[in-house]
Amino acid sequence: MLAIIEQGLILSLLSIGVFLAFRVVNLPDLTVDGSFALGAAIAVKALFEGISPIMAITMAAVGGALAGFITALIHRRFKVNVLLAGILVMTMLYSVNLRIMGGPNLPVPRVSGQQQAPSYESMSGGTLLDDLFADSKAADGPSAAAQKKTVANLFTGRLDGQDLSKISIVIIGALLLLSLFLRTDLGTSLRAFGCNPAGVTAFGISQTFLAITGLVIGNLMVGLSGGLFALYSGFSDVTLGQGMVVTGLASVILGEIIFGKVKFLYGLLAPVAGGVLYQALLSTAMRYGYRIGFLASDMKLLTALFVISVIGVRQLASSPRKQRFRAEVKRLWLNSRGSR
Amino acid sequence: MVELQGVTVTYNKGMPNEQKALRDISLTVNEGEFVTIIGPNGAGKTTLLKVLLGEVSPLKGTYRIDGKLMNNRPPHHLARFIGRVYQDPNTGIFPSLSIKENLLIAAKKGFRTIRFSKLKKEGLDLLEGLGLGLEKRLGVLAGELSGGQKQSLAMIMAISSCPRLLLLDEHTAALDPRSAKSIMDLTMSINGEKGITVMMITHNMEFAGLYGRRLVEFHEGSLIKSEARSTQGLRSSVDRQVSSAVL
Repeated sequence: MLAIIEQGLILSLLSIGVFLAFRVVNLPDLTVDGSFALGAAIAVKALFEGISPIMAITMAAVGGALAGFITALIHRRFKVNVLLAGILVMTMLYSVNLRIMGGPNLPVPRVSGQQQAPSYESMSGGTLLDDLFADSKAADGPSAAAQKKTVANLFTGRLDGQDLSKISIVIIGALLLLSLFLRTDLGTSLRAFGCNPAGVTAFGISQTFLAITGLVIGNLMVGLSGGLFALYSGFSDVTLGQGMVVTGLASVILGEIIFGKVKFLYGLLAPVAGGVLYQALLSTAMRYGYRIGFLASDMKLLTALFVISVIGVRQLASSPRKQRFRAEVKRLWLNSRGSR
Repeated sequence: MVELQGVTVTYNKGMPNEQKALRDISLTVNEGEFVTIIGPNGAGKTTLLKVLLGEVSPLKGTYRIDGKLMNNRPPHHLARFIGRVYQDPNTGIFPSLSIKENLLIAAKKGFRTIRFSKLKKEGLDLLEGLGLGLEKRLGVLAGELSGGQKQSLAMIMAISSCPRLLLLDEHTAALDPRSAKSIMDLTMSINGEKGITVMMITHNMEFAGLYGRRLVEFHEGSLIKSEARSTQGLRSSVDRQVSSAVL
């Protein structure tokens, strides 16, 4: 359970990034898939270079922010649709990540006595896939002894609460800083831009500047999440970011279902709670799903179906026909109460 | 104050669907003046507003405010001199922000930084002056207000940073008659008491006759009439136009 919370909290930073892009500045940014993997690649590579873990995740966050900056610049300067701009940067980052890691994946250099963080499978009690990949896992990546420059990982992987407290500090710090930022003049104009982009121009604020600020901060959170995720799970992979936009969106939607219209801390708690709940649901599905034929590889499909179904239900619920039906039911109910 | 000299705007230049939206427009608007702009659809009224706001660059001609050339300046630069209110009340406000946050955004123009501004007394006074009780509901989301309240807030926001010029594009068209009347009274007081220059586009011939010290008429991209008149004179001029339109 602790591992689920830890992993959920790390991925909630990703959800916050998605929340900032999709909900606050209202720019559907697909860079996330690339910037998450970029953060992971930078963090692991930095450890290999002997850089401290704190510095490594800082660099990961900056890398993510840079990716967001490039997307926003392509979108605003070249008038490219933000979706296409995100796809272009995401595609570029695939090659960049391969360059950074020097290959498709890179394990976190381990120092002796350090444990690997538990995988999804071990968290959920193991699946049949464990047996299948048992041999290949053992041979995966260079050993710690083979690495010349190694520094201690930020995470111990011992599930004794130490990792959780470190992750919690990062999350609380990020939440406080972001909620403070969103209260400032710049933060308020960022929220204003999200609900009326043309309106901000009327007050002398550049839309380009706000789009860049929004995507930089969003992807900074995503890069940070990627970096922490790599250090926590013990590896970085070029495909790590695949489907992360959808994962982030699913978490945001789950959080919004939990919190409803509560906008405490500008709604930033929703993606955090949603991120943890999403991980809990995912590990439950992994644990019991295989009994009814689900594979680990089906999770992306299920996540996307979940997002589609929530959006679909919301759309149907807000249709005029549905509203008329509701009003009619309410009227009949009130009439029946009145007649008693 | 505002000076347009030989401004020509052509959409889709060189294309089969090329359209001359403004033809050699020369217009001077003095400080503190209230200009009402009328004309049928496609006459070039909104294009004129877009030129003034920097959203459309003229193909030919010059555009100056206080003698300074404004051609090709980005819209957010020009916004420092100009306030605007459009037909849709939602375009002038930020619906998902509270009334207080809307006023904070409007309190100044230009670049924002990481600082915590407080609501100034001037902003609150303006809100109180509306007499709608909005000053007691500062935490309410602007999107939850009625159409008339939203448009009143939009007007207050447009003038709270003291622009040199206020552009109004059919700003009463989406309102019921009572709200429209109160918004027009507010417009008059902004012009009269604060001395802000107003340029108002309207299709409402009654308002065109009642409000404004100068009537400017556009037709097929050309300025066909610009007359500074007394209110009575304006009224009869507008009546003539209504009659000719009906006939």
